[in-house]
Amino acid sequence: MLDIDDFTLASSPPWPQVMEPALEGTGKEGKKESSKKHTVAGSPGEGLWQPVKLSWAELYKEPTNEELNRLRETESLFHSSLLRLQVEELLKEVRLSEKKKERIDAFLREVNQRIMRVPSTPETELTDQVWLPAGVQVPLHQVPYAVKGRFRFLPPARVTVVGSYLLGTCIRPDINVDVALTMPREILQDKDGLNQRYFRKRALYLAHLAHHLAQDPLFSSVRFSYTNGCHLKPSLLLRPHGKDERLVTVRLHPCPPPDFFRPCRLLPSKNNVRSAWYRGQSPPGSGSPEPPTPHYNTWVLQDTALESHVQLLSTVLGSTLGLKDGVALLKVWLRQRELDKGLGGFSGFLVSMLVAFLVSTRKIHTTMSGYQVLRSILQFLATTDLTVNGISLCLSSDPSLVQHEARLSMVLLDSKADDGFQLLLMTPKPMIRAFDHVLHLHPLSRLQAACHRLKLWPELQDHGGDYVSATLGPLTTLLEQGLGSRLHLLAHSRPPVSEWDISQDPPKHRDSGTLTLGLLLRPEGLTSVLELGPEADQPEAADFRRFWGSRSELRRFQDGAIREAVVWEAASMAQKRLIPHQVVTHLLALHADIPDTCVHYMGGLLEALIQGLKETSSTGEEALAAVVRCYDDLSRQLWGLEGLPLTVSAVQGAHPVLRYTEVFPPAPVKPAYSFYEHLRERASLLPRPDKPCPAYVEPMTVVCHLEGSGQWPQDAEAIRRVRAAFQLRLAELLTQQHGLRCRATATHTDVLKDGFVFRIRVAYQREPQILKETRSPEGMISLRDTPASLRLERDTRQLPLLTSALHGLQQQHPAFSGVARLAKRWVRAQLLGEGLTDESLDLVAAALFLHPEPFTPPSSPQVGFLRFLFLVSTFDWKNNPLIINLNNELTVEEQVEIRSGFLATRLQLPVMVIFTPQDRKSSVWTQDGPSPQILQRLVVLAAEALPVLEKQLMDPRGPGDIRTVFRPPLDMYDVLIRLSPRHIPRHRQAVDSPAASFCRGLLSEPGSSSLMPVLGYDPPQLYLAQLREAFGDLALFFYDQHGGEVIGVLWKPSSFQPQPFKASNTKGRMVVSQVGELMMVPNVEAILEDFAILGEGLVQAVEARSERWTV
Amino acid sequence: MPSFPATISLLAIPIKFSEKQQASHYLYVRGHRVREGTKSSWPQKRTLFVLNVPPYCTEECLSRLLSPCGPVQSVELQEKPDLAETAKEPKSKFFHPKPVPGFQVAYVVFQKPGGVSAALALKGPLLVSTESHPVKSGVHKWIRDYRDSVLDPEALRVEVDTFMETYDKKMAEEEAKAQEEEGVPDEEGWVKVTRRGRRPVLPRTEAASLRVLEREKRKRARKELLNFYAWQHRETKMEHLAQLRKKFEEDKQRIELMRAQRKFRPY
Repeated sequence: MLDIDDFTLASSPPWPQVMEPALEGTGKEGKKESSKKHTVAGSPGEGLWQPVKLSWAELYKEPTNEELNRLRETESLFHSSLLRLQVEELLKEVRLSEKKKERIDAFLREVNQRIMRVPSTPETELTDQVWLPAGVQVPLHQVPYAVKGRFRFLPPARVTVVGSYLLGTCIRPDINVDVALTMPREILQDKDGLNQRYFRKRALYLAHLAHHLAQDPLFSSVRFSYTNGCHLKPSLLLRPHGKDERLVTVRLHPCPPPDFFRPCRLLPSKNNVRSAWYRGQSPPGSGSPEPPTPHYNTWVLQDTALESHVQLLSTVLGSTLGLKDGVALLKVWLRQRELDKGLGGFSGFLVSMLVAFLVSTRKIHTTMSGYQVLRSILQFLATTDLTVNGISLCLSSDPSLVQHEARLSMVLLDSKADDGFQLLLMTPKPMIRAFDHVLHLHPLSRLQAACHRLKLWPELQDHGGDYVSATLGPLTTLLEQGLGSRLHLLAHSRPPVSEWDISQDPPKHRDSGTLTLGLLLRPEGLTSVLELGPEADQPEAADFRRFWGSRSELRRFQDGAIREAVVWEAASMAQKRLIPHQVVTHLLALHADIPDTCVHYMGGLLEALIQGLKETSSTGEEALAAVVRCYDDLSRQLWGLEGLPLTVSAVQGAHPVLRYTEVFPPAPVKPAYSFYEHLRERASLLPRPDKPCPAYVEPMTVVCHLEGSGQWPQDAEAIRRVRAAFQLRLAELLTQQHGLRCRATATHTDVLKDGFVFRIRVAYQREPQILKETRSPEGMISLRDTPASLRLERDTRQLPLLTSALHGLQQQHPAFSGVARLAKRWVRAQLLGEGLTDESLDLVAAALFLHPEPFTPPSSPQVGFLRFLFLVSTFDWKNNPLIINLNNELTVEEQVEIRSGFLATRLQLPVMVIFTPQDRKSSVWTQDGPSPQILQRLVVLAAEALPVLEKQLMDPRGPGDIRTVFRPPLDMYDVLIRLSPRHIPRHRQAVDSPAASFCRGLLSEPGSSSLMPVLGYDPPQLYLAQLREAFGDLALFFYDQHGGEVIGVLWKPSSFQPQPFKASNTKGRMVVSQVGELMMVPNVEAILEDFAILGEGLVQAVEARSERWTV
Repeated sequence: MPSFPATISLLAIPIKFSEKQQASHYLYVRGHRVREGTKSSWPQKRTLFVLNVPPYCTEECLSRLLSPCGPVQSVELQEKPDLAETAKEPKSKFFHPKPVPGFQVAYVVFQKPGGVSAALALKGPLLVSTESHPVKSGVHKWIRDYRDSVLDPEALRVEVDTFMETYDKKMAEEEAKAQEEEGVPDEEGWVKVTRRGRRPVLPRTEAASLRVLEREKRKRARKELLNFYAWQHRETKMEHLAQLRKKFEEDKQRIELMRAQRKFRPY
């Protein structure tokens, strides 16, 4: 027996040992198979979405009842299954988990006990506050101090949890639990509703409570804060000690016993703050009635109704999950738009009440899904003007903004856009990115004077001395009236007052954050410099004069009318865009005594970066328009040309200038002849080695199509010769018939016209096709793309189409030019200009205008640029194509088709994919770049620049140095090549424009030259081309073409790996023996010297940071 | 400098731009030879094959540097070594502008075979730019290149005209030849049908054949009855369901991916 046992023991161990791993293996494999798709899709390293493969059996099996129900439900209750899943995920993310709820519940029970144990105090006069222990301050501005009434502390009659926590609609990340403390009736007296008496008692109640709770080790912090930003109503914030510190904040709100205040005393038309008490004098003319105090009354009323509201909401929301989901979604929606904060914010409580209201009016049904509730509410908000038809539930003080947002969101929901969810609920809309111009009023104490100037006594009385809130309404009305047709929407934002320690006085009004106004401009209103008033003899003329003050003038117009009018000085587009600044400063100074030093206007600060050298008042729109006019002139001359074998059928621009996106528009050139060497027989100027590099003149490409003809040869080489003949003829005829200086080469003709140089390229429509033709061995002719045909097609067909489409876009959206140019300026300033083509950046900028959701199209370069940074840094380039629907040519179905095509061919496409109606499959403009590394770098830089810039622009004390985000970090490069400014022709275009640079051989007086200037001669670019050709395998080169003084060199890590000897692999390398073998490594010392040799004269120094690499 | 094993049989010659430089590049040279049977445009014995020629080293310069080894007949710089025989056409300076040079390979043909062996014994370092023969680089080179890029339009016209003349002649000859062969059967009795025949035929292109196929398909589709039999109904319903399932599955995956990217945190 024993033997056998031994035997079995000895022989059995292998079994389980073998079996277990096998089982584990199969188990894992089984799991893997079921969750395979998940791991494939979910692994962050991959991050690439791959189309599903479902087996036939899985697809066509008999459906179960449950499945059918779910599918049907999805169809009827949600937009699509994707949206349903997204909503479910989002709710899962923002909901509180059961575990955390338990912990919070336990904490609440503790809090309840502690509160009940706070000792009572003897009764004293309200003004006698010596009983308050040291270390705690009354959380209220007691102005005026004297008030009647007596106070004593007694533990609350009831402690009840109210608000979203109870209803299950509170959302992360800020979990607040509101607790109402019902003050015992003994504390309050008759007429406590009058003259802030109730609020004083409330504050004292909290102060006493705070003192006792602060000594308790249960809490990590005990602080005061304002309820919804109302400075008469502080609340006490309690946070648990230990690891739950960030989990929850319990807010204590004292409230009066139910039925203590008679509601009829608190109607909006009643007065509860007597002027005699508040101002120490009765209102002038003792017969006049006291002004009503609606805000004050509402605040009292809110406290009395805390509990009844909760009861109402819990009966409505009760057990219906859909409504709760809806409320949670709406809260997320509001939070993303920053509408829920501060005084007058659209708080979560209001949302819940609105849902309750719509349920009671049967606009929402209890069986609706969360998505449907969200939709109905937005529909209601978008279509109801709450300022006119107030509903019986009180609402926020700035409904126009909410309505505006709701309208935009409804459009988005209706548009069937694929990523509606993302834009609606996941994209934050901070003020600086949502509004075209933003202005800060700072310091806020100036508003106190404004209050006096505007005679806002009753409002001040109503708001209990909060002059910021009191002036806000009148100021916004004033500005809205003044901006008139220029303005689409004016919104204000007051960040919530931060909480404060119980031993400190409550923050003063002037310290309570900043007041920021956002202006959403109407582009069509921006072009006019005239504010037309009534005719001089009309009675309204006096009002107009009063409103505009000294700016109003009597003017006689062409139709003979004599009218009051205001004319703003603005010559250029850039100045016209900033007329609102003039309006705002003028009106604020005139009517509210706020000097312009207190108005910090953030509108045109970034424009300095795209301004030319001499003009500081224009951002180049006018210069671009002048070039385009010259180009139009030239194309007319080309059409009318006589003597060409084939007449010109179309002239199309193909240069960034001709679509208004060239960062620095060209100026007409008038060369100083002595600066150059002359090539007499060609009537051309040449650069001289002993002078600084002459000004950079870039010829502007124009594509010229000829009428169709069967005479063209059908051979690629012969076509090139015929085209060359056309180029020669074109030059000849233009010189003969229009006296233009021309220079023809085999591929183009350069034409000098009014100081601008155009490069005309003759195109033959069938040439790309001929380049594509390949003949199979059977003699079948098929068309295959070749690099040459693709290049030709891009240059002669797609580029002109894109140029004209963007030209059209500029006519619709005047800010497009500024946005595209700022964006390009930034990308190039970050030395990434080479990786991203001009066209791809223009298209990304165009996307901001054509697909602005969830915003409106930008009307100022500043906001457009911020959104550019946001788009670049947050767009999921890996899994999505950026579809730019130029001219609205693509239907929704076509876009879906493009997307599915994208998914199927993802691996063949470049990393950054941009599709347009003309280019639905191949993403032409990003084919040759950016590489994944460059794109990654761009995304990282944009993500870093955005918060920095936004912080600067939102800083009420002024933005500081706005060029910070345009200066590139240089510490990442392995080698820096410093260039000599003498040979950088565009030196003055640098981000930090040099105070002095070299003469570039231009005369300042206007006029045309008879000799062809030096074209496209840019030593840094020539140098870079040489470097890239010679060392492109070993290193990457980065340079800012707009006046950069540094070339950054980054070694490619892979090329520093020693490699075995290969004849094709010797470039710039040398042989070393490593462990007995001969390997190739880059010959770094020699290469560094080559950098200097190749750029002789241009290179100042080569700084090798050799500590960064090892060979 | 370590020497190569016999199998590679290359020799390294240091080369510098001028006296001033500290470090040097290395030219890797060997006699030019090809496998048995393949032809080469360079004479076997007299040609030196040079690898890793630095970008500032031009053909004239290389010729000057190697002339001490023996009179040089020609120097050809190329981006890559020739693998197979390719016919070289004379390149026009108007239609084939010189590319920007990088590191190149060179074939140096000496007048006598002795030049190759002498070159293989060179020690160096070679100097590209000397006082007697300065080589332009940097700004001076770019200015010269710019001057060279301003070409004479008259010369261009002449070149175009001569090219077109030869081209037209060639086309005319081909035309005549085709006319001659029209309708004449070859030795196997086949007659070539061209588009010059009396009745036009379909061009032999891929697009044309695709068009024909497409037309056929459409014709067939017109004849088919849809939603006629009960099974067709059933199948369309099932198809719809399958589509929904597929979509659902896709959506689930996308959600999964978004969750992995933390796309559901609205804060």
